[in-house]
This record gives sequence, C-alpha cells and structure tokens, in this order.
Amino acid sequence: MSSRVVVTGTGVISSIGAGADDFERGLNAGTTGVGPSQMFGAGTTTAEVRDFAPQNWLGPKGLRVLDRSARLICVSSHMALCEAGLSQADAEEGDPDLGLICGTMFGGLHSITSFDWSGLTEGPNLVNPMEFPNTVINSPAGHAAIKHKLRGVNSTICAGLASGLYAIHYAAEFLRFGRAKALLAGGVEELCEESFLGFRKMGAASASDSIRPFAADRDGSVLGDGSALWMLETEDAARARGLTPVLEVGGFGSAHDAHSTSAFDVRAEGATSAIRQALAASEIEPEQIACIISAASGNRAGDLMEARALRNVFGDLLGEIPVSAPKAAFGEGLGVSGAFCALAGGLALVRQSAPPTAGFKESEFRLRLSAEAQPFQGKHVLINAFGCDGNNAALILNLRT
Amino acid sequence: MKRVAITGLGLITPIGAGRKVFWERLLAGASGIATVASFDSSAFPVHLGAEVKEFDPKQFVRLGKTEEMGRGSQLAIAAARMSIEDSGIELSSYDSGRVGVSMGTTSGEPRLVERYNDVRKADGLEAIPGDFLPQYPCNVIPSHIAVEFGLHGPCMMIPTACAAGNYAIGYGYDLIRTGRADLMLAGGADAFSRITYQGFSRLGAIAPERCQPFDKNRKGMVPGEGAAVLILEPLEDARARGAKIYAEVLGYGVSCDSHHMTAAHPKGDGAIRAMAMALEGSRKTITDVDYISAHGTGTPTNDRVESIAVRTLFGDRAGEVPMSSIKSMLGHTMGAASAIEAVACSLALDTGVIPPTVNYETPDPECDLDYVPNHARTTNPRVVLNNAYAFGGNNASLCLARYEA
Repeated sequence: MSSRVVVTGTGVISSIGAGADDFERGLNAGTTGVGPSQMFGAGTTTAEVRDFAPQNWLGPKGLRVLDRSARLICVSSHMALCEAGLSQADAEEGDPDLGLICGTMFGGLHSITSFDWSGLTEGPNLVNPMEFPNTVINSPAGHAAIKHKLRGVNSTICAGLASGLYAIHYAAEFLRFGRAKALLAGGVEELCEESFLGFRKMGAASASDSIRPFAADRDGSVLGDGSALWMLETEDAARARGLTPVLEVGGFGSAHDAHSTSAFDVRAEGATSAIRQALAASEIEPEQIACIISAASGNRAGDLMEARALRNVFGDLLGEIPVSAPKAAFGEGLGVSGAFCALAGGLALVRQSAPPTAGFKESEFRLRLSAEAQPFQGKHVLINAFGCDGNNAALILNLRT
Repeated sequence: MKRVAITGLGLITPIGAGRKVFWERLLAGASGIATVASFDSSAFPVHLGAEVKEFDPKQFVRLGKTEEMGRGSQLAIAAARMSIEDSGIELSSYDSGRVGVSMGTTSGEPRLVERYNDVRKADGLEAIPGDFLPQYPCNVIPSHIAVEFGLHGPCMMIPTACAAGNYAIGYGYDLIRTGRADLMLAGGADAFSRITYQGFSRLGAIAPERCQPFDKNRKGMVPGEGAAVLILEPLEDARARGAKIYAEVLGYGVSCDSHHMTAAHPKGDGAIRAMAMALEGSRKTITDVDYISAHGTGTPTNDRVESIAVRTLFGDRAGEVPMSSIKSMLGHTMGAASAIEAVACSLALDTGVIPPTVNYETPDPECDLDYVPNHARTTNPRVVLNNAYAFGGNNASLCLARYEA
C-alpha cells in the first residue's frame, strides 16, 4: 500500500475565478475578489462568487432544492471529478470507493435560519418539509453525493477556519488506510445575510472594506465564499490509471489553543505547534520550506499570532522565504478558506512562484510579502489555517519529481 | 497499529446522567420521553420529546462561562467531565498536546439560530448580538471542551447528522491507533431544538404516542437531545495504569447511499456496506457478531430498511443475532445518538447484559429479527456492531469487542 497521497483533479469556484485555470490566473494577476456585493445591496462589500450560474456546469435540472452552499460544492466537485477522469455521470451506479470529505463551518446557515423563520412567522405546520434536509450541516456534502453518485465515505468536517485543511488530512488518512480509492476533499462556505451580519456584529469586518494582511493599519476582514476541492488518490492508484501526479499531500499538524473559542491566542503556541508538527510529519527542516501560504486576513490579533508563529518556527529564515496571503484576493472564506489556501499553495509549488498578495503595500512584520509574484525554487510549501475558535492547522505540500 | 481501549464513559441523556444511572434505567426499560417542555408545542400536531431534564450546566462547566456557550456545548462539557472522572485519569499527567477531542452533531447549536430569529422578530436585525456568529458554528462544541479541560491536541467536529457520534468515535480511534494522540475524548452532542422538531413534524416522522421501533404499529421517532463522551486510549496504556477497560474498539465502516437526502436506500445498500466495512476492518465476520445496537428510530421506513440490511448481510444468521433499539427509551438524540449507543454497547460488553427494545408488542412480517423485546437479556456478547444512519445518506457502523485480559 502506497502511503503517498497525490492530487489528481481540482475544482474551485471563488470570487476570483471559477475553475483551476481562472483561479490561478486571478491569483497570479494580483487581482482581488473584494468588491461590491450583489447579495446585500448597494454600498456593501464582499468577496462573494458573483454572477453564479450553477446551471453552466450542472445543467438546469434539480437545482431548485439546492441552497447556495450545495450548489457551490456540486459545481466544484463536478469540476474535480471531470479533471480527474472519475466522473460517474455515465455509470448506472456510482463507485462505492469514491467519496467526499467536506470542510465547512456552517453548511447552509441561511437554510436553517429561513426554515426557523418560516415556522416563527407562518406557523410550524406551514413550513416546506422539502427545506428541512438543507438545515443539517452535512447537507452540502449529501447533495453532492447524490448529484455525482459518490457512494463512498461522505464526511463533513468542522474545525473552524482550519476546516479545509483538516478535511484534506482526513481524506489522505482514509486513502492511506485503504478505506477508499479516491476522495474529493476540501471545503465549501456560502455567504448569506446571517453570516454577513454576524461577522459585522462580532467586530471582525473591515471598516474600510478591504483586506490588508499583516499591514500596520489592517482593520479586519471581508467575507468571501465559494468551494474548493481536490481529488486525492494514492500515488499507486493514480499511476495505475496512467497519471503522473506532481502534487503530494505531505505532513499535517494541528493544535488547539485551549484559550478561548472566540479570540485568537496571540501567544501563538498552538499555531507554532501545528507548523512544527507538520514539518516533523513531513520529515523536513524549516529551511526546506520554499514558500508559505498564510492564513492572514487582516484580523489584528490573527495576523499578529501568525507572524509570531512563523518567527518562532523559521526565525531569520523568514527574510528569504516568500510569503503569500491570498485571502487578500479571495476574502475570508471561513470553512472553505483552508481549501482555497491549499489550492493556492499547490499552484505556487507547480509554478515555482508565490502568488502576489493583492494590494500589498507594507507589513508591520518582517515577512517577505509582495504585490508581485515571487519566484522560488523548492519542493515544499507550507499552508496555514488558524481560527479564533482556537483551532490551528498546518499542511505541507510536496512537489513530486 | 495500536489497539484502542474505551476506559471512560460519560453521558447525559433523557433518562439520566452518568454511567450508573443510565445503565440501571436503560436495563429497567425506563423512558425519557414526555411532553415537550422547552418550548410551547401547542401549535404542532405532535407533542412528544426526549429532553434532558433538570440540567444545571454550572455543575459541570467550571472554567468557561455557561452564558457564553450554547446548550450543545454545555451538554458536551457535562459528558466530557463525567467521562474523565469515570476513567480515573489525571489529565495533568498527560502531554496536553497529545490529548484531543473528536465530536459529532446534527445541528450543533441550533438554539443560537432560534435566538437570532427571536431577536430579529422582536427588535429587528440590527439588534442581533455580537456573540451570534462566534457561538453558533458547531466547531465551538469540541473547542469548548478543549478550553474547559486545557487540551491542546487535535480538535474537531464531524457534523454528519444522526450518524455523527460513530464518525467521531471512529476518528478518535484512528488518532489513537496511529499514535497521533495519547488520549481522545470522542462522542457526540445535540441540543433539543424547535427547528429539528418542526422539521421532523413536517416530515410526519414524529410518533404521536410512544416510540415503538420494529413494532408493526410503529408510528415514528421522537426527537431528543443529549451528549456522550468516551475516553479512548491505547490498550497498552490502559493496562499499564490498571484502568477499567469497558471495551475495545476494533474498527468502523462508513458509506453513503447517494440516493436521497432523508430516505434510506430501499435495499439498505449503504447500511450493508458500512457494516461489512466495519467487520472487515475489525477482522471479524458475521459469525462473530453477538449483538447489534440498531439505529432503530421507530419510523416505518428506517426500521424496515435496517432489518432488510441486516438480513441481507447476515443471511440465515440474521435471526440469531439480537438487535435492539434504545431509542425506544431515549428517543432520537440526533448527533449524540450513536455516541450514547456506543456507551450502551460498551456496557453490554462489560456487564454481559443487552438492553431491550421497549414498547414492542406486535411483530411486523417486514421486521423479522430478534429485537430483544421489552426485557434486558443476559447474553455475554463478545463482539457488537453499533449502527447509525443519517440525513445525506450517511451510514456508519462501529465494531466493539469485550476486552479479555
């Protein structure tokens, strides 16, 4: 049994592009998806998926019962299945060894709130029972399984802003254990009025409607949404299908701050530990990391915590390692952000170039950030995902040669 | 790979809190089902619920502030505290970075959504408080446990609806057997919610008078709430510290029906594959299984399909393997259900007694197995399967075994 797990397909829909090519083009052009919202009225700013037309990928049928989160992940899983050559569209029954591991924080937050609101305002006997299944947190993953005939493991993973990385690691472990042949893994999060309002009310939204990671005058984040998935397989299985994979899922680390469920722990012990664990699991040294994909999203405490963790692990090496903070481009995607960052890390490794940090001008910390792409040479990229619920995760990707 | 022992059992359920009370009442056929008390059910056509009564979260939450967390987190912390105490471990003797939390849930903290809408209705959207978003996402449940007990290891929620407890215990088992953690708190939690109640009511799934799994006249399930946390650790560590070992986790299996969001596959396809995968991973066969803890919600479809699935997989042996549903007493505690049922399985293996399916009166030709009707039975099981099925077509079966020193 091969213990190497590799990427054989990508599906992504985000504010900076739909599909791996568009996403990569958007990232490398230094553009940002932060801009006027189509969902919340004039003068509001988000990094939402705009002009979302799921029928372009899924056809017109069966969309009515899907909420935004389900539509987003049905689209990304369609893309990844097709790219990997594992679409079950023509199969009578889907492959029982093909599954989906979905990282998310809310699932369909708008669906559950609307379902309750209907009961509250119209009475509990008039609500539409067809809307009930969309209230459970695993409903996006369940809908995608039905849509794409995925009969293997179907897990939903919620670990706050680290959900996407946890999901990728969980999938890699399932493949190593031989519990599946191929797994879609990543995340989904929808923007909705409840999360948009809640984010502002908790004081996390940027007053200036911009994301300035690590900047001295950073003032919060802007919410984004979308879905990002990889198709993961063991390297043996991929090669047996005639593929030559280039990206390998490497070591993973996770640690909880055990400090607060609603505030970043600026002592950075958990974040530091997660990165060190990932390095140890990959059996590599800090100097072998060629590029860092940061979780920074303009949060005052969150960015400070990450800067300290990076300093703890990499010390003076930080003068040389390019860092990219791509949330400046695709926004704070909450449960999907770890998956977005993982994809950004994969693209960086293949291109040997750290994507620009959109709109970057200056940093409060001595980190090698840039508004331009930063070429590098190396085989390992580090991806961080840290959240204010105390969960910290780090993942390393390896370039296969 | 390491062997994995279950050495602590903590739970809070509609029939009582703590291992001893739970087990006594369960074997006696006690019912936790009553008229819904936490909200006015008069507008509904049904009124039964399985709520946790007389719960004082302050008795269990010592570090955190109960007013800063939802009921799901409060129940989970209660179960975790009882489990830690039951195991006799000293948390301070562990490297906290190697102690983790793996929980399951269906709805997480649905009462935060209820409060959101209540505030919105009474005072408008601008009155929504700032703690809504930080308190709602279901990852706060394991995070609250981590904060309360100072645990710095892996921490996650697997919200795979009503099969979530088994997924979470399975993940905890994976972390222990691969040596990624030294101790795992694994289980499930769900809070009673008008949202869940409204949903099952509109599906016509709630029993009007009582919960009668597998009975010919069964009329539905009863929504409930609760939490259970199991302490998992390497068997060798448990032995070394002279711990009480309730059971050993042998393996688990998961699958997806890929058929319908709420209805089970008519032939039990996913359920069969989950049980088969659990047995294969456990290096056991159908001839080894001595007891099945059924998902057994009490709805006409679930119980028929589960019976078909067991009959299909076990063939002629199906009728010889007792299979009971404790949901007949506890109602359906959602994401906590399979964790509570895993506690019941552990205690069945430890004590030799299997719990009954109560309210069983009239056999159903479509459900033709041994459902342990109405009375607990001493059978000294050695290997048991714990079944759980969920919205989204999720299926998870956990295989546990008696530990013999």
